[in-house]
Amino acid sequence: MAEMKKVDELTYKEASTELELIIRNLESGDLELEDSLASYTRGVELLRSLRARLEDAEQKVSILLKDVDGGDMLVAGEAADTSDELKF
Amino acid sequence: MPGWNLTGVSAAGKDGSSPDALSVSQAVDMAAGALDALPQLTVLGEVTGFRGPNARSGHCYFQIKDDACAVDCIIWRGSYAKRTFELRDGMQVQFTGNFNLYKATGRMSFVARSFTLAGEGMLRQQVAALAEKLRREGLMDDARKRRIPVFCTRVAVVTSLSGAVIDDVKRTLRRRNPLVELICVGSKVQGEGAPEELIEALGRAAAITPAPDCILLVRGGGSFEDLMTFNDEALARAVAACPVPVVTGIGHEPDTSICDMVSDRRCSTPTAAAESVAPAMSDLVDVLEARQRRLAVSMTARVNAAENEAASLRTRIERATTSYLERLSLALDAAARRPCLSSPTGMLERRSADLMQTADRLTSAISRSQERFRAGLVGSAPRLAATTSSFAARSHALELAASRLAHEGRAAVSTRASELAAAAASLDALSPLKVLARGYSITYGPSGVVTHADQVTSGDEVRIGLVDGNVYATVGTVERHEGADGSVQ
Repeated sequence: MAEMKKVDELTYKEASTELELIIRNLESGDLELEDSLASYTRGVELLRSLRARLEDAEQKVSILLKDVDGGDMLVAGEAADTSDELKF
Repeated sequence: MPGWNLTGVSAAGKDGSSPDALSVSQAVDMAAGALDALPQLTVLGEVTGFRGPNARSGHCYFQIKDDACAVDCIIWRGSYAKRTFELRDGMQVQFTGNFNLYKATGRMSFVARSFTLAGEGMLRQQVAALAEKLRREGLMDDARKRRIPVFCTRVAVVTSLSGAVIDDVKRTLRRRNPLVELICVGSKVQGEGAPEELIEALGRAAAITPAPDCILLVRGGGSFEDLMTFNDEALARAVAACPVPVVTGIGHEPDTSICDMVSDRRCSTPTAAAESVAPAMSDLVDVLEARQRRLAVSMTARVNAAENEAASLRTRIERATTSYLERLSLALDAAARRPCLSSPTGMLERRSADLMQTADRLTSAISRSQERFRAGLVGSAPRLAATTSSFAARSHALELAASRLAHEGRAAVSTRASELAAAAASLDALSPLKVLARGYSITYGPSGVVTHADQVTSGDEVRIGLVDGNVYATVGTVERHEGADGSVQ
């Protein structure tokens, strides 16, 4: 836990990786009680954030388009149709 | 034979045979000649009745056909040996060769000198050859296939933006895992120029910053020819060389393109490819729940361990304190039992008794010694007085003795002085010097003063002492007086 970025600033994957590390450290039982309490707090924070992200996840779609200069630019695209009806 | 007109052609000839009639050999020769006159032909047909080369001769005998016709086909052993693929029934094959008539049976066959697959078959063969070439180059080795992250959060999709496939991918991932960010990169996926567009799209997708975790190269189902784009060598090489791992989902289940073979992960359909890049939300929820449990369990365990540790420390410290206190208590008891504490006055009493005894002794000793000194002093005073009483008599005696000594001294000296003067006068009278002054001398020889003549011999050195000096001389002759007994003056 050299650098403690704010949980909100972490990507899902970073947060997930850090949570797994924290749990492994805790499971190893090698931590000082103070450290393990700090880790636990951080872990709960990460867990809460990850859960929230899972619940609120919205698909993000962008489209790579060529601009007038021929360079590429990302343009926000439409997410998939939210209806679960299959279209035929 | 009677002249039956069986054919409706007017019969001619006496024996019923036309004078123009040919023998079978002639006819067959003619037919054979006609066939030989045909140029080399390339015939497209479906192989049928193919049973491989003849076991003995090695030649192949089978038929080729189309919807309406069929013809025997022969491939000689030598030609068959040059084949680039195995013939099988049902194949559409282009045969290049000539017709030939086997005169012994009159059977007409097409003798193929070479043959190539036609249409889709040809394409498939080319694809297989390309696949083999790339396989030999190692482009399909499992070792060079990159690992696709289990959870790709940023995925580029290279496909047609107008087809249903892009929607399938979006919908699939929206349902499965909306956390996956999709970047759509459009490209033609079939027809002229499609491979080039796809190669460019792959490059653009790989150049996105931040780089995507993987690139989905997908296309919906289609005919073999439609999917040929994905068998393009340049595209296959671009897929293999792409800096970002590539997941392919091209066509439907049985279709396998070369891009599939060289990609880092091959999925049977675009949907399957989309599903393969990220775990389902339910799995993520499960994982999170498992982690929550693990977090709780491990924290509980850690706290319990700390509690146990604290409890054990408490026990130890209690035990240690108790035993320490017991030790102290024992020591205190032992100390308390020591006489100095049990009867603190005892020591003082003992010393006090000692002191009193000593004081008694001191008192009596002092008085005794006072008595003794007093008695001594009393005795000494008269003795002292007695001692000084004889001093006057002794002083008088001393004075008497002094005057006697002076008188006696003077008397003794004057007597001695007169005697000494008389002796000096005699001595002066007797002095040899006075004799010498009268002209006498003393002769000293080797053995002292010469008093007799025999004391020297001729040649002796002698000294003759006079009153005022010495004469050194040598003896000439010695002459002894007769009758002299040596008493010379």
